[in-house]
Amino acid sequence: MSFLKLILKNPFRSKSRAILAIIGIGIGIATIVALGAMTEGMVSGVDDTLHAGGSDFTVAGNENNTDSGMSQQNMASFGATPLNQSWVGKILNVTGVNSAVGIYSTMVQPQGLNGYLVVIGLDPSQSKFAELTITNGTSYHKNTSEMIMGKLSAEQLNKTVGDNLTLKDKTYHIVGTYETGDSNQDQGVYTSLENAQNIDDAKGNVSMIYVKVDKGADVDQVTQRIDNLYSDNVTTISSVSDISSMQSVIDMLNSASWAISLLAIIIGGLGIINTMLMSVMERTREIGVLKAVGWSSKKILLMIMGESVVITVISAIVGTIMGVIGVELITAMGIMNGLTPIFTITTISEAFAVAIIVGLLGGLYPAIKATKLQPTEALRYE
Amino acid sequence: MSENIVEVKNLVKTYENGQVKALNDISFNIKEGEFVSIIGPSGSGKSTLLHMLGALDIQDSGSIRVGNINLEKSKKLNEFRAEQIGFIFQLHNLIPNLSVVENVEIPMYTQKISSKDQRTKALSLLEDVGIKNKAKMKPNQLSGGERQRVAIARSLANDPSIVLADEPTGSLDSKTSNKILEKLTLLNKQKNVTIILVTHDMNVAKLADRVIEVLDGKILENSEDSLLDNKISV
Repeated sequence: MSFLKLILKNPFRSKSRAILAIIGIGIGIATIVALGAMTEGMVSGVDDTLHAGGSDFTVAGNENNTDSGMSQQNMASFGATPLNQSWVGKILNVTGVNSAVGIYSTMVQPQGLNGYLVVIGLDPSQSKFAELTITNGTSYHKNTSEMIMGKLSAEQLNKTVGDNLTLKDKTYHIVGTYETGDSNQDQGVYTSLENAQNIDDAKGNVSMIYVKVDKGADVDQVTQRIDNLYSDNVTTISSVSDISSMQSVIDMLNSASWAISLLAIIIGGLGIINTMLMSVMERTREIGVLKAVGWSSKKILLMIMGESVVITVISAIVGTIMGVIGVELITAMGIMNGLTPIFTITTISEAFAVAIIVGLLGGLYPAIKATKLQPTEALRYE
Repeated sequence: MSENIVEVKNLVKTYENGQVKALNDISFNIKEGEFVSIIGPSGSGKSTLLHMLGALDIQDSGSIRVGNINLEKSKKLNEFRAEQIGFIFQLHNLIPNLSVVENVEIPMYTQKISSKDQRTKALSLLEDVGIKNKAKMKPNQLSGGERQRVAIARSLANDPSIVLADEPTGSLDSKTSNKILEKLTLLNKQKNVTIILVTHDMNVAKLADRVIEVLDGKILENSEDSLLDNKISV
């Protein structure tokens, strides 16, 4: 038997104690994994929407912009400030811009739904841009009250082609259903730009302008050009971090994740200290024997810390599985409101790093205590 | 003439800030390949002496030389224990969650020996003490005598030059005790391993080549010839 095998074997001498420690630390790890997956899912979802239709970046009104006549931020477009529709033409004229499409999105609570429905207004002539796959029925038309409904929202509202949907006292006719693969879009509806603007009484405004650059053009140069020309009125958004309101939500989630990691380290660390101290105490005489047969203090330290890390790494495996199952269950129950959690190697690596840190820190004190045992006293221990 | 493998000079060990003298100015030598018993009542200091010979405890004054090593000066006492000393304890002190053969392998973790060679050697040692057929069992599946035989095999794992046995038959019945003592005697005669055995039982002590009697931390008798004459067989 190798020294490593001994380290793997020892923590399970008291199975119930090891299992309790694993569950305790595993819960902390599960929380880290779940929060990390939700944060990643949110970032990815927003990023997908920002780059809908393969657009390179998005233009929104900046916080000082007043030409839309709307001062409030639009939550359906992640807190971006709306801007006047005339900006679509201005952006289109900037060198390097190939296409610019304005959309108006808003959030409405329809009857029969606890949450909000995202209504996306897009000129039907530009519907190709949204890369919608009509799964049933047809697309909508201008100057009508037609709309098409995303796969997720149709499921949530139990609607299909031919049904009507009333939003803010106006009835819309569902002429088709679509699917994009982006949960943000699939839990919404598409209608004409004017219909969406009318819901918020925001005629002539767009929430965002999706921009594609010319083939071979440098995206950064084009955004820089727009910023230089129109920084008083508009802002360019290339990634989630460019949206301050979204970034604060993500920062908050990240902070919560790190706070929980820290708590997991403290609580898990105390748990593992307790587990390993009890283990060392119970094995006092055995540690005396190990010293008597010539084991160095370093080897005893390595053994105890190794055992501690074994427990926490198993906790990380169990916690990761618990986190994944928990998040999948919550998603299946529909509580996540269309958010698709994403489990990344980074999130799982962070969880394992936390577990190993807990193991090393928690095992250190009991290990030092074990090395300081006097062999003669340890051998006399009853 | 064999050389001294152990030289103890003016050894003093006290406890409780010098109030209790466990060993009081003890001096003796042990020759290589000798079988020596240290006898004395409980609290006489015999186990303390054994622990000091095995570098498990440090003396207040005096010197101990084992082989070429002055224990009070050496900074690598764990290496000394791993390479030179084999311990046998009264309560065998086997590790309960490890199998018999894994217990014998434990001292070998201090040496650079492959796992395969460790296993081969451990099985060979178990065969020597007649318990190879129980190699995969856990200590709690063995009798007291069998456990002590495993402890003997463990004490020999690193080919020590000295085996220190602290009341190795103290918890065994007389029949099992005799078998264990027979193994130790064979070990001494066949492998020329120096054995220092601590006991409070004169019948056990008399099996040795020489008896050192300790009382109140002092050696009372160190007469090789007289005890050999009265030696009883096991």
